Amino acid sequence: MDRRNSRRDAEGTSVITANRLLDGRIVWLAADGQWTTLIQDAKLYPNSAVEEALKARNARAQEEALVGIYGVQVTETASGPLPVTSRERIRAAGPSVHPDFTPDWHAPHPAPYA
Amino acid sequence: MSHSPSAALPVGHYAYDDVDRTFLKQRVAQFKDQVERRLSGALTEEEFKPLRLMNGLYLQLHAYMLRVAIPYGVLDAKQMRTLAHIARTYDRDYGHFTTRQNIQFNWIRLEDTPEILNVLADTDMHAIQTSGNCIRNVTADQFAGAAADEVLDPRVYAEILRQWSTLHPEFTFLPRKFKIAISGSQQDRVAARFHDIGLISREGENGRPVFEVFVGGGLGRTPIIGVRLRDDLPEEDLIAYLEAVLRVYNAHGRRDNIYKARIKILVQALGTEEFLNQVNAEFAAMDRARYRLPESTVEAIRARFGAPDFAPAGNAAEKLAAQRKADRAFDAWVHTNTHPHKQSGYCSITISCKPAGGIPGDVTSAQMDLLADLAERYSFGELRITHLQNVVLGHVRQDALYDVWQALEKNGLGEANIGFITDIVACPGLDYCALANARSIPIAQKLSSRFANADLQREIGPLRLNISGCINACGHHHAGHIGILGVDKRGEEAFQITLGGSAGDGDASIGQILGSAMSEDETVDAIARIIDTYLSRRTAGERFIETCRRLGTAPFKDAAYATA
Amino acid sequence: MPLLENGQIIQDTWQIAVEGVSLPAGDVLVPLARLSEGLGRNSDGRLGVVLSSADEVETLRDALPRLDVVALTFPVFRDGRPFTQARALREHLHFKGEIRAGGHVLPDQYEFLLRCGVTAIDLPGSSDPAVWQRAHEAFTVAYQPSILKEQAEGFAFRRRLA
Repeated sequence: MDRRNSRRDAEGTSVITANRLLDGRIVWLAADGQWTTLIQDAKLYPNSAVEEALKARNARAQEEALVGIYGVQVTETASGPLPVTSRERIRAAGPSVHPDFTPDWHAPHPAPYA
Repeated sequence: MSHSPSAALPVGHYAYDDVDRTFLKQRVAQFKDQVERRLSGALTEEEFKPLRLMNGLYLQLHAYMLRVAIPYGVLDAKQMRTLAHIARTYDRDYGHFTTRQNIQFNWIRLEDTPEILNVLADTDMHAIQTSGNCIRNVTADQFAGAAADEVLDPRVYAEILRQWSTLHPEFTFLPRKFKIAISGSQQDRVAARFHDIGLISREGENGRPVFEVFVGGGLGRTPIIGVRLRDDLPEEDLIAYLEAVLRVYNAHGRRDNIYKARIKILVQALGTEEFLNQVNAEFAAMDRARYRLPESTVEAIRARFGAPDFAPAGNAAEKLAAQRKADRAFDAWVHTNTHPHKQSGYCSITISCKPAGGIPGDVTSAQMDLLADLAERYSFGELRITHLQNVVLGHVRQDALYDVWQALEKNGLGEANIGFITDIVACPGLDYCALANARSIPIAQKLSSRFANADLQREIGPLRLNISGCINACGHHHAGHIGILGVDKRGEEAFQITLGGSAGDGDASIGQILGSAMSEDETVDAIARIIDTYLSRRTAGERFIETCRRLGTAPFKDAAYATA
Repeated sequence: MPLLENGQIIQDTWQIAVEGVSLPAGDVLVPLARLSEGLGRNSDGRLGVVLSSADEVETLRDALPRLDVVALTFPVFRDGRPFTQARALREHLHFKGEIRAGGHVLPDQYEFLLRCGVTAIDLPGSSDPAVWQRAHEAFTVAYQPSILKEQAEGFAFRRRLA
């Protein structure tokens, strides 16, 4: 795992993220155990509990078709969890140079597989 | 259509036959099988990753990215339309031209990839070895087959090297990636000294070419200028000699630390002389007959390339001169965006993919289709992607330039900035790339807007500005006259400036870091002050890089960090 | 462990030397460090040597005529040195015996191994032999000469794979 991804303080709060194997898209672990594309729906973990949760989710990575599961430190804001690093803020929001490509972007013309 | 090729062969690139097509289809089937084994769990992610990389598929920040090979940067109109189709159907309607003359798509799904590779194969394209620790796409001069100063067409040799290196049984799991570039003239337009192997060709005594061989150059976190191993390698030994270099590297390159695994580190560790001794020992011991490149093979490959069927010049030059006189904007574009052609009445044009405030190297599917149409109509169906992320039409009649320019202008491709400060080279950076420390594109856009004024750009003159989002240096910042390197300051983006780098033409140099990293806006302001310093301190006719070399970095450093 | 030859599973009759135990009778594979012990063995069994990917094949030059097998080892499939070792054994040292590849190898590397001169694969325990057999038949064309005597396919360096 990229060392920058696991930049977490002893104190603090984190969320859990991964990429989906099939399409590569970013997902966040929600409170109901499902994976969501919106960080707003992510479950907050105290940093002391993240490692354990990661271990459990990593054990299921193949069956859940996920890759690169790791924890992201956040601050809690009115509009939801906000990652502390710019890298993770870009992952959560989409590329800054294409404001239209938000995590819930859909193709105007559905691709043939849709 | 004003031109039609004399034969059915594509102009400018190798024409596939059924054997080549069978090869591609078998490889697509192999990848489909690998994807299925990954989904079933038979392949772990660790095992699958090098296999997908071998087919150009990365897992980036937001999605998979697919890098499609454009061998020696040349493709035909039909292939460009295939890329447009992929952008529209499987991606988000655009693609990004890279510094290795390839194209990448940023929003690809793994589950679509076998189908995409099939679509590519239908027009003789692939993504093989656009990533991974293998021999990558061989790059060549973007004015190949057209430049007035050309000695030989490097694309024929680039194709020979492409074929030889494609799924080479011994060299597909190298310590690290391996990049080869070849220039067809003594003017090095490929940055040969910044490659793992750089080849510069000239004509030998018997009319066959000989090659100067540079080894161990590169950028990345350890920028090094390559050393010359051979001055006069005969054509027939080209493959044998490269085999010998690669064998020494595969056997002895470091595998314990990916940051020290490139061939340049091995060459430095052994010393040029010892490295040369080992290559020579291998070269002497090998079965040379097996690897000999006979003239007949070169000619067989050359025969698969179509050649443009030029029309007489007529009054093309006079017509162009009149049009330039009548339209000042057109004149400025011709001045910056054209290159002399060996054929009277023709020139090569460079189409800027760097609009003011735009994303360097990005083109929409509609623009790709337009480029295909223009190539078909005006340049024998041939297009080239440059390592500076622009597009070249190699053979355009001078009296057609005005029509071409007007079509480009209407579609956001008419920028007259080739070689100027806004002709920025930038990697995708942290907006897309999983390795990046900082975003490259927003700072490129700010600089492009800041210097958008055409008169100001002309006043500043030739200037290479390169931006990399991390030390891997995909934006070649060390080779820029001004380089920008994105760094990570405790989770926040910051930028270092380098000065005095240069990529080619016999004066390759590595840019020097000016000082500590600054924020994005501070960096943009600092570069504006560096430019002001140049404008006030230059002597008559002195280019930016020359002023840098004459004055050294001190006055520019003072300007960059002046806060008053 | 199963051994794969020409895409088919065969019985492996070779024993591997056990550390700290004297060499058994019969066909035995020894590590490079025990090569002289193997050569001096008083037995009519055949001898093979196991190389690590860091070993220089050149060190086998004198012993090679008395060896029947050289076994190459992939510590991880990404370590490509055994390809160069195999090709050098065939091309420089003219070794005619069996070259095995073992350790962490993938079926996706089978074609490359064969074209570098490997003749048998020591299949990793978890391998599906069907995938290896498929890999053996999947490709009919290659783009460069190899140490196998493959027929030219049309022009240039293209080769027809059997």
